[in-house]
Amino acid sequence: MTERRTLDSALAHANLSSTSASSGVDYRPVAVMPDVRVVKIGGQSVLDRGRAALFPILDEVIEARKLGIQVVLLTGGGTRARHIYTIASELGMPTGVVATLGKYIPMQNARMVQMLLAKHGGLFILPDDFEKLPLYLQLGCIPVMSGMPPFGYWEKREGGSRIPPHRTDAGVFLSCEFLGARRAIYIKDEDGLYTNDPKKDKTATHIPRITAKELIERNLNDVVVERMVVEYLPRARWCKELQIVNGLRPGQVLAALKGEDVGSIISA
Amino acid sequence: MTKLVGGDGRHHIESRLMRESLQDRAVLRDTENERDLRFFPDVTLVSIGGQSIFDRGGAAILPLVEEIAQVKAKGHKIVIGVGGGTRVRHTMAIAMDFGLPTGGIAQLVGAMEELNAILLNALLAPYGSMPMQRDHFWDLPLYFHAGITPIAISVPPFHFWEPPPADGGAVPMHGSDFGLFQLAEVLGFKKAIYVKDEDGLYDKDPKKHADAKLIEKTTLAALLANMPEENILDEELYRTWADAKNLKRVQIVNGLKRGQLLRALDGEDVGTVITNEAVKRD
Repeated sequence: MTERRTLDSALAHANLSSTSASSGVDYRPVAVMPDVRVVKIGGQSVLDRGRAALFPILDEVIEARKLGIQVVLLTGGGTRARHIYTIASELGMPTGVVATLGKYIPMQNARMVQMLLAKHGGLFILPDDFEKLPLYLQLGCIPVMSGMPPFGYWEKREGGSRIPPHRTDAGVFLSCEFLGARRAIYIKDEDGLYTNDPKKDKTATHIPRITAKELIERNLNDVVVERMVVEYLPRARWCKELQIVNGLRPGQVLAALKGEDVGSIISA
Repeated sequence: MTKLVGGDGRHHIESRLMRESLQDRAVLRDTENERDLRFFPDVTLVSIGGQSIFDRGGAAILPLVEEIAQVKAKGHKIVIGVGGGTRVRHTMAIAMDFGLPTGGIAQLVGAMEELNAILLNALLAPYGSMPMQRDHFWDLPLYFHAGITPIAISVPPFHFWEPPPADGGAVPMHGSDFGLFQLAEVLGFKKAIYVKDEDGLYDKDPKKHADAKLIEKTTLAALLANMPEENILDEELYRTWADAKNLKRVQIVNGLKRGQLLRALDGEDVGTVITNEAVKRD
């Protein structure tokens, strides 16, 4: 039998399945676009509130853009996503199908935000357009895309639920990590992280700063960002902080875009 | 009748998850039940190794193509995927030397697999085969009805959004073994067969250790408890399988030995058979 014809490389004979796969390579990572602010606009928390919540947030994003701050907006899903998740779960759809269904609503939301921002350079983009970000940002545009990562049918089930574990919060974190930006910004309708859902538990108290490790150790029943993101944070190379701000409070979004420590910060 | 619900400043559509945080553990658990729907229970996934088969050239590929023709003639419904082999490793080594992020590496590697898919399509064309677009799964009944074997894209579409690797390295966790496994799992296939250049899974790499022992039959639980240090399949496949609901059986066969793939499709226990006992179905 003929031999394998192998190209010589540092990984030619490495076992990629094992945990020591990259040990033989001198890996010095390069940041792709470290100055970009990757910002999520919440679905249920912001977009489902309509004009009253969204317009003041967009005004602050436009103001930041005028100050030269490069912003990429990613949208969440919200109540329509919850509606389709409910029905798909009842039907016994596998998580990969639920994740595929979950792509559509954030995309609708991104298109809505694009229409509203069009006169200020709002640009709807798809995952495949990611490599064109340098052009869009240099032109002064505000790219808007769905926050849902493109895993779709390849989204794995995580123990104990058929809701996709990587949703739009994860998409924002992973976009930030790829671009090499330090902080992912999440615009929600609460001042940040609480000890429980403040909408349901009036005794819940605000947590201004916490590490991912402490947050995992606290084992809260509910958290303001997807658990996968908190789990990934300690092993991220670039995105070391998640900032959660209240888009309903005037000035918070702009302050966050300027790099100020408002809201809650979860750090690696 | 669909009800719109307001009152808290947000506009909800009535549903069980309405107003809920999808991070709340009880809410998440509430969506769970024992089984997932199975869409294609009579289809088998066949994954053909990149390094193990394609990098050996015609001597390994051509006889296997003949065998796939026999598989088709016997009426087995299969979806084929291929690995990328040594060019994937070369891509990764260069990309890592440049310091490209993991998501960037994940974006690049799929092209190398695709080259093998084009070769296989060309060789199988006289028997009827077609590339399947990324997730055009609902076309599958049409393919089978027409006697066409679909060749799927094996690298999953994580691309720039590939999560940071669990081992702290830069190599993406989600390669073609995982991608094809997940395809078979989400579509509820009968089983997945991985065609490699060894008789199956060994307790250590048989290419390096003469005393390596073949594991003919094992369970996922046993493997996870005592994982061979060098594994013929990606570890992410096993991790994903532990939470899966559909696939009961993964088989590893030797594509250099004639007839092993055909026998595996006929239901024989050739090579290594791994079963997930936690999956509650046949």
